[in-house]
Amino acid sequence: MIYIFTALYCEAHALIRRLQLVKNQKTTRLQEFYNEQSGIRLTITGVGEIAAAVAVSSICTAYPPAEDDLMLNIGTCAYTRSAGAPQTRVFEDGEGVFLCNQIFEQATGRSFYPDMLYRHPFREASIVTGRMPWNADAGGASDNDIGHAGAGVDGNGYGGKTSGDAKLFHVRNDMLYDMEAAGVYQAGVHFFGPHQMIFLKIVSDFGTADGVSPGQVERLMEMHGDALLTFIGQLLERMTDERQRDTSPEAELADKLCRDLHCSKTMEASLKQHLHYLALAGADVCLLIQNLYKEGIVPCRDKREGKLRLEELKQTLF
Amino acid sequence: MKNLNKHYFNPFFSHIYVETAVLGHPFTRRILAKFPAAEIIEIRHYKDVFCRSHQSSALQHRSQKLILAAKQGTLVYEGAPVCQSFGNRYFYYTSCAMNCIFDCAYCYLKGMYPSANIVIFVNLEDIFAEVAQILRMHPLYLCVSYDTDLPALESIAGYVREWCAFAGKHADLKLEIRTKCADPALFARETPSPNVIYAFTLSPQAVIDAFEHHTPSLAKRLSCAAALLQAGCAVRLCFDPMIYVKGWERHYETMLAQVYDRIDMDKIVDVSVGTFRISQDYLKNMRRQETKSAVVWFPFQCERGYCHYPDALMEEMEAFLTGRLAGRIPEEKIFRWDMETTEHGKA
Repeated sequence: MIYIFTALYCEAHALIRRLQLVKNQKTTRLQEFYNEQSGIRLTITGVGEIAAAVAVSSICTAYPPAEDDLMLNIGTCAYTRSAGAPQTRVFEDGEGVFLCNQIFEQATGRSFYPDMLYRHPFREASIVTGRMPWNADAGGASDNDIGHAGAGVDGNGYGGKTSGDAKLFHVRNDMLYDMEAAGVYQAGVHFFGPHQMIFLKIVSDFGTADGVSPGQVERLMEMHGDALLTFIGQLLERMTDERQRDTSPEAELADKLCRDLHCSKTMEASLKQHLHYLALAGADVCLLIQNLYKEGIVPCRDKREGKLRLEELKQTLF
Repeated sequence: MKNLNKHYFNPFFSHIYVETAVLGHPFTRRILAKFPAAEIIEIRHYKDVFCRSHQSSALQHRSQKLILAAKQGTLVYEGAPVCQSFGNRYFYYTSCAMNCIFDCAYCYLKGMYPSANIVIFVNLEDIFAEVAQILRMHPLYLCVSYDTDLPALESIAGYVREWCAFAGKHADLKLEIRTKCADPALFARETPSPNVIYAFTLSPQAVIDAFEHHTPSLAKRLSCAAALLQAGCAVRLCFDPMIYVKGWERHYETMLAQVYDRIDMDKIVDVSVGTFRISQDYLKNMRRQETKSAVVWFPFQCERGYCHYPDALMEEMEAFLTGRLAGRIPEEKIFRWDMETTEHGKA
């Protein structure tokens, strides 16, 4: 299963359409879309770190992820530039998608690192998650109340510090800036490992978020839809490959053997440990178990006999 | 532009994390110059990346990253009880790198570290200073390639050369460089030094094929060891850990035949023998990571916090090998790890 989280519906629209996701009508708190067949569940989190963390936590509690599942945070972001710098387009079509290799939380200065395991066709960058939209002309996140005013980008690429907060992260030039990634990571880490979390961001502006309409975001996501879909498709393909390697036909037989030996929990753990080792060592465990039945060693009458048979079996294994 | 195709994973060292404090260190610059295409990510402290929770070392081993950092705090440690001291009174080890480019299924590093990414500490000068300070008090037997395979990292870090040069200036320092590496170019340049011991870990080819992923073959390791002996270097052979596989007697017998064929046993410094054993906590971590590895899922016997093969099997395997070796090398040169006392006894 791939869990996708976007902040806004307009960021999700292209994915919902292309991945043929249907709305989960049973939920009202969050907008959820899924496709059981392809193994994708997309959720609209709402804007901001807290909303994103709440949504990740809520969805992952309702649908607990497995060890090989993945979580993708997809959305738009700003690209930080010096105040007063020309806001010309710097990305050619198709180059505006970034994979985040480092996430900073502006309010605390904490950093987070998703594993960079998979090949991808995108550019990479660090991203800063702040509480307010990035406003290049005002020199950064433009809310005086949170003490970030003026914490923009100076000529050396480091923000001037005005709040007196030692932990405040200084936004540099040529970084991405959004309002969710750090929240998604911090909530996600309770359910996923860093190898399961992927952050894809599409640059929508250079510090002029107010001027970006939902329609523009939709068109932007549509423009990069093919690249995103190819990447998601190949992640799904890898997950399928891994699962095929993980199937163990002896599991059902082992359960039956445990029942017929009248195993306690401890005996069951010991037996399964031995059988698991033998299977990994290349022995034909199914044949071994079938022979026990053929020779009449199992089923046993009771736990006492089962214990004896189990010890005899363990002695013959090596 | 990179593509995600059937080869799903990024190449090794596609990303290099560098602590801000060591960005300008000469070793950092030297290492980074070897990876011009790598993404360089500046970090505050290596533990921000290395010590994240719930990492998958199995997946990370398919696309290892490099972390360059400064080692702080204690830099030289006393030898662990599960390691052999080879009769040396002042037995210490140091970690100028953590983790290994090889991927041995039974390696304790997988249980000890939360990550499979490789950390190289670039402030080697600080480690040298601490070693020099200890040497002012007493001689030192120092293992520098325990928590990594230093020769395997030589083309990246160049630390074997640095250590050999340092050992050349300190007669009281005896170095052990343990490795499964067999790069002839690496060892061809080494000049004999009486206080540097090259310790080759040897396993039957069947064990190498099954569990020691990405490592050189037994034949290549033996060729390297033989070349070093030929050049007059001190060489130790480590049959440790011995790994149980079906038909282990035959495999170890074949291995010994290959060893005797290639190695002049009269010139060997000593040999070590020990079956696989590991801390119970490390094994628990390894089993969580390596769900498909027979070697860590063996039903071990656990006592006093350590797991090992059942007593009878352990005794049989170690006695088998020490017995075979006894005819070819003096008994005082055969070191066998003693489970009972966790002392470093001789066979």
